[in-house]
Order: sequence, then C-alpha cells, then structure tokens
Amino acid sequence: MESYIKINGLHFSRGHRAIFNGVNLTIPKGKVTAIMGPSGTGKTTLLRLIGGQVKPDRGEILLDGNDVTKFKRKELFDARKKMGMLFQSGALFSDLSVFENVAFPMRAHTKLPEDMVRDIVLMKLNAVGLRGARDLMPSELSGGMTRRVALARTIALDPELILYDEPFAGQDPIAMGVLVQLIRLLNDALGLTSVLVSHDISESLSICDHAIILADGHVIGEGTPAELRKSDSPLVKQFLNGLPDGPVPFHFPALDYKTDLLG
Amino acid sequence: MIDLIIRLGRSGLGYSETVGRSGIFLFHAFFGLGLSPQGLKLLIHQLYKVGVLSLVIIVVSGVFIGMVLALQGYSILVDYGSEQAVGQMVALTLVRELGPVVAALLFAGRAGSALTAEIGLMKATEQLSSMEMMGVDPLKRVIAPRLWAGLITMPLLAVIFSAVGVFGGLLVGVEWLGVYEGSFWANMQSSVDFKEDILNGIIKSVVFGAVCSWIAVFQGYDSEPTSEGISIATTKTVVYSSLSVLGLDFLLTAVMFG
Repeated sequence: MESYIKINGLHFSRGHRAIFNGVNLTIPKGKVTAIMGPSGTGKTTLLRLIGGQVKPDRGEILLDGNDVTKFKRKELFDARKKMGMLFQSGALFSDLSVFENVAFPMRAHTKLPEDMVRDIVLMKLNAVGLRGARDLMPSELSGGMTRRVALARTIALDPELILYDEPFAGQDPIAMGVLVQLIRLLNDALGLTSVLVSHDISESLSICDHAIILADGHVIGEGTPAELRKSDSPLVKQFLNGLPDGPVPFHFPALDYKTDLLG
Repeated sequence: MIDLIIRLGRSGLGYSETVGRSGIFLFHAFFGLGLSPQGLKLLIHQLYKVGVLSLVIIVVSGVFIGMVLALQGYSILVDYGSEQAVGQMVALTLVRELGPVVAALLFAGRAGSALTAEIGLMKATEQLSSMEMMGVDPLKRVIAPRLWAGLITMPLLAVIFSAVGVFGGLLVGVEWLGVYEGSFWANMQSSVDFKEDILNGIIKSVVFGAVCSWIAVFQGYDSEPTSEGISIATTKTVVYSSLSVLGLDFLLTAVMFG
C-alpha cells in the first residue's frame, strides 16, 4: 500500500489541553480514507495540520515525502496548490458569483485565456450538477448546493489530495446521498487521494476504503470498514454502535453524585 | 500580591506579543500589493469603497465645521473690531488641526469599522482560511488592497474636508455675517503658508491614515471568529484609532508648531 500522507509521533496541544499525544497514521494514495472520532478529538485540527495552517508541537507530517512542518511560507503556498480542502461551511466568497468562485483559483494561479477558464468552470460545475446555477450568488444557494459549489472550486485546479471537513454535517438525506456519491466518483475518476473527517459513521464507512478512529489523542482503530466492524476493542465498538455509555463515559468527570447532592 | 504581579506580567507579555504580531502583519501587507493589473483592480475597488463612499460624511461634516468656526470666530473677533480675520482663522484651524483630525476620526468610524467587520466576517466564515488553502495569501489578496486604499484616501479626504470647511466659513462669514469678501480671502492668503501649514497638515493626515488603516485591518484579521469577537474588534478599531489620532496629533503638533 503506497502512502500519500504519513504522520509520525504527532503532538499538538491547545492551551494546556493535549489534542494529539503521539499520533502515527498513514493515508494510502488513491484511496478514500475516513478519519472518525467523537467530537472534540481534533479531527478538523488534523486537517489543518496537514494543510500547514497550524504547526504541531512535535512530530512530522510527510506529504508525498516532504515534511509540511518544515516548509517555508512560499513552499507551503506552493504545496497547497496541489491540495484542496472542502470546508464545513463551504466558505464560498460571498461577494463573488458561483461562476467567479469556481474560477477564483484559476485566475489566481494560471494565466489561462478567458474562454478556457469558462470551459473549465462549466465542466467542474457540471461534475457537481450545478452548471445551471452559475449566475447565482452564494447567499441564494441551499446548504447542499453551497457544499457542491465549494467542491467544484476545490477540484478546479485538479488537486492530488482533497481534504473534506465534515462533508455530511447538517445535510438533508438527498444532499447527503449526492455528496457521498460525488466524493467516491471524483476520487476514482480523477485519481485523487481523499481524506474525509466525519462522525457520520454509516455514510463514511459506506464509501471509504480505509478508516481511522481517533480518541483521546490517539489512533484507537485503523483498517478497512470490515476489519473495524470486527474489532473487539470496547472503544471502537462503542463508537461504531453509538452506545451512550462505555469507555467514553456519559458523565463529565465530577464528584460522587451522593456527596455532591447531600454535601 | 505575587498573583497580581504574575497577572500584570502575563498581560504585558500578551500585549507586546500582539504589537509584534501586528508589526509583522503590517510588513507583509505593506509590501504585499503586487503591481499586476489584478492587484490594481482590487485596489481601485477598495479605493471606491473606502474613499468614495466616505465622501458624503466628509463633505457634510466639513461644511458644518467650517460654518461653526466662522460663527464662533466672528463673535469673538468682532469685539476687537477685527472680524475680517475670520477667513484666516477658519483656514488655519482647518488646515493645521481640524481637517486632518476630524477627517481621521470620521474615517475610523465610517471606513475603519467597516473594514474590521468585513475582514472579521471573512475570517469567521472561513473565507480567509479557504483562500489560504487554495494557495492564495490573504495578506496579499484581502489585506494589502484595503490597507493601501486607506493610506491613499486619508490625505485626500483631509484635504477635501479642509477645502469644503473654508467654503462653509465663507458662507457664514461673508454671505451671512457680512464680512468683506476681499479681506476674507486676502487675510487668508497672506497668513496661510504652504509649507508651514498645508504641508504639515497633509503630513499629519498621512500619519493618521496609516495608523487608522493599520488598526482597522489588523483588528479584523486578528479577531476571534465569532459574532462576539467581531463586535469587540469593531469597537476596538474605533476606540484605538480615535485615541491614537488624538494622541499622535498632540505629538505632531508639538514637533511641527511647538
């Protein structure tokens, strides 16, 4: 299995709270990898670390063999041209139309003539089924459409890697189905490496080739969806089955209930 | 006691860290504006938003300030029988002090707060982050044109403010109170020196423009990406800009005219 991203001994803390405590993981090339875990385990932070937007305290993040943490500002911006990130909110530029949003990366990085930009934008929009929405403004789009436009913008420069931050959160079943299919389709058609961070277990497991479960700053489970389902780790079981109590307790750490009430 | 010292030290460190960060930020934004056609287009768009849209408030305030100055000046000067000096009084007050200072205060309230809120909201909706992930530096693309627009428009707005103010003074002094128009202009012409008064006034407005734009874009860029954070940042922009303008005005006046 050839790896695209390799993370070794990653430590990261925010304030006094340790988010990652020596995380080691490998993301295979050309596959869809799902990173799952309870809220607050730093899944989104992991994407930002891969994108070089935050620096880890320790450890290395190898992107196609190069350590992201050692990049200079210029190298980092060059490396980012080869990756795309789909933000949870879509993060479309609110002052630009759908067309201009998708054209933005091309205008910023290439000197393509206007008619070619137009063709590429329409092709990308067609891939997400929104060629007809090119003249709308972001404020006129529904949540699912916003994310699809953002996806078209993300693939505008044909990246090698796409990072999806909670692509399914807050979507209705139809929009969710469309996104699930798009992620799989784009990955296979364009030969990408896809990483998606999510806590929608069934959707994620249904499209990913490889899954990683994070909890308490560690990787607690890794493998194909089938392997994970057979895992006998109580933590993995609790997470995959959505049990309210288990190794991740229902109660926030507190005094004994009786002493708390009766003093 | 120890606790107090610790807290003082910590906030002192935090404060100097912010100042350092804003300095680096200013450096990158200042040299970040490329002279490409695209960079110019972005700059012109911001010049319109920051400058042209501030014109109404600048012109209206300028007329009224000039009118008030002439009225107040006349009522004092007439006791000494020297009401013809009202022209020179209005012009000197505007060109040396009120033009740069009031225009900067209005600028901070009108354009500075808008810049902070806009950049803060772009940050809160992850637009800056996504730009960064597309390999486009938001300091160059978003911050630099706004900073430069502020730098360029502030002196122009101050000059317009003073000119319109003189016109307001003329309206009240000459048209209403009946000062002889010839001496109104002649006194002004003989007492206002280009280098001593007008140039110094412009230098002041350049300094104020730099400070106000710097504060506005930095507060927006450095804001907490929440609705509360943006409201705090906008308030800070207006408060810090106003205080720095007034404080710097005293310093500059002491150096130039003291």
